Amino acid sequence: MSLISRILGVITLSALAGAAQAQVAVIINPAAPKAPTQAEVANIFLGKDKSLKGFDLKGWNSTKEKFYGQVTSKNEAQLKSYWSGLIFTGKGQPLASVADDAAMVAQIAAEANAIGYVDAAAVTPAVKVLFTLP
Amino acid sequence: MPAFRAIGLAAACLAITPAFALEQGDYRFNAFGTAAVTYLGGEAEGRNYGINGQTTDSWRGDQLSKLGTQMSYGLTDSLNATAQLTAKAEQDSWKANLEWAYLAWQANDHVLLRAGRLRTATYMYSETLDVGFSYPWLRLPDEVYGQIQLSNYEGVDVVYSLPLSFATLNIQALAGQAKDRDYYLFDEFYDTDWDNLVGASLSLASNDYGTLRVAYNQAKLTIDNPLLGIADSKGSFLSVGYQYDDGSWISANEWTRRTIDGPMSPDQNAFYLMGGRRLGDFLPHLTYAQLDEEKGARQSSWTLGLNYSLMPNVTLKGEYKQVKTENGFEGMFVPSALEVLSQNIPDFDGEIISLGIDFVF
Repeated sequence: MSLISRILGVITLSALAGAAQAQVAVIINPAAPKAPTQAEVANIFLGKDKSLKGFDLKGWNSTKEKFYGQVTSKNEAQLKSYWSGLIFTGKGQPLASVADDAAMVAQIAAEANAIGYVDAAAVTPAVKVLFTLP
Repeated sequence: MPAFRAIGLAAACLAITPAFALEQGDYRFNAFGTAAVTYLGGEAEGRNYGINGQTTDSWRGDQLSKLGTQMSYGLTDSLNATAQLTAKAEQDSWKANLEWAYLAWQANDHVLLRAGRLRTATYMYSETLDVGFSYPWLRLPDEVYGQIQLSNYEGVDVVYSLPLSFATLNIQALAGQAKDRDYYLFDEFYDTDWDNLVGASLSLASNDYGTLRVAYNQAKLTIDNPLLGIADSKGSFLSVGYQYDDGSWISANEWTRRTIDGPMSPDQNAFYLMGGRRLGDFLPHLTYAQLDEEKGARQSSWTLGLNYSLMPNVTLKGEYKQVKTENGFEGMFVPSALEVLSQNIPDFDGEIISLGIDFVF
C-alpha cells in the first residue's frame, strides 16, 4: 500500500468514525403510547407538551448540543435563557436529567412514556429509535 | 380544617393525572442576581432619577443590584409549593422581600392553578422583573417600567397553555389584592392599597416569528396622600408587547396605556422599541423609549448597550442612556421640593451610565 492511499485510508476511517460519533438517536420506550414527530419532540423537550416524559443528559456535551440545535434550533445560552424565563415565572421546571448515555438508555427502557436522546452508538434493542440526527 | 381537607381531596384526584415537572418530595433551588452600578450625569448636583430615586450624580450600586433565590418543592406529583426571596434596595436601605409564596396545582397537561402571593403580570417582563438575565438591559426602559410600583399581590391565577404546530398559546387570568404597599413620590413613600385587582393576558409564542403578548389589568387604587386625590380610584393598564429572537437578531417592543381616575392623574401612553444583533458572544443593542402625558409632557430616551455573554448563565452589560423631558414634565426625574411648590418644573436632560453583571443558576 502506498503512503498516499494509507493516508487516505486513515482520513476516511477517521471521517467515518467522526460521523458515527456525531449521530444522535432520539429514543423512546418500545411500548410508548405514540410516536411523536420532530416538532412534537421539540415541544416535549421545551416543556410545552407533557404527553411524553423527556429526559435530559446532565451538563452540556456534543450529543446534547446537536440534539437541541437540530430539534429546537437553540444553543446552550438560548436554552438557559428560555428555561430561566419558565422557572422564574413559575410556569415550568426543566426536565429530569441522567448522567450519561448508558443511564439514558436504561431510563428510557424502564419507563413506558419516556423519551430521550443518545449517541447513536449507545442504542440497544431495549429502546426504539424514533429518528436519527445526522 | 376545610383547607386541609381540600388539599387532601385535590391530592387524591391528582394521583391519576400524568406527572409534571416536580414529583413528590423532589425540590429545586434556583438563584438569580444583578451586581451593577449606575450614574447620572449632565444634571444639577444632587438630582435624583428612577423609580425609587436611587440614580444620582454619584456612582451607586443600590438602584440596579439585587439578589434572589427560589425554592420549589413537590408536595405531590401535581401540587408544588414555591417561594422566592429577594434582597434589593428601596430608596436608601436594603430590604428582604418575600416576592412569591404560592401553591401551584397542575390540574392537567394544559391547566395550572396557583394561589398565594404571586407576581403581577402587568408588563411583558413583569414576572421576571428582578431577573435581569431574562432581558437585554441592565435598566429596563424606565419610561414604560416606571409607571406601576407594584410587583406582587395576594390572590389566585390560572394559566392555560396549548401547544400548536406553529406556536404555543398561553392564556392567564388573575384576581387578588395588594394592601399596604409603598408608593414612591417626590422622595417620600406613601401607603397604597390595590383592591379588586383583576387581569388577563394572552400570549402567542410562535416557533419562527417571535412572541406577541397582550395584557390588561385593573384595580381600585388608594394612595395615602390627600394631595393626589386617589381614593378608591379605578386604575387600568394595557400592555401590548412583541419579542423576537432568532439566535442572531433580537428585538423587544412594548406599548402601554395607563389610566387612573381623578383630576391629578392624567393618562399616560408609553412605548419602547429595541433591536440588537448577536456577534459571537457580544450583543450590541439600541433602544428608543417615550412616555407621554397630557399637554405635550414627554420623557424620551435613547439607550445604547453592549452585552457580553461570559458564560451561558452569566452576562456582562454596559449601557449609555440619554434621557430628556419636555414641557415641564418631571418624568422619572425627582424634582426638588422648591420646584414642586413653585409649580415650576424645569425640563430635564441627563445621561445615565450603567455597568454590571447578571446571572442565574
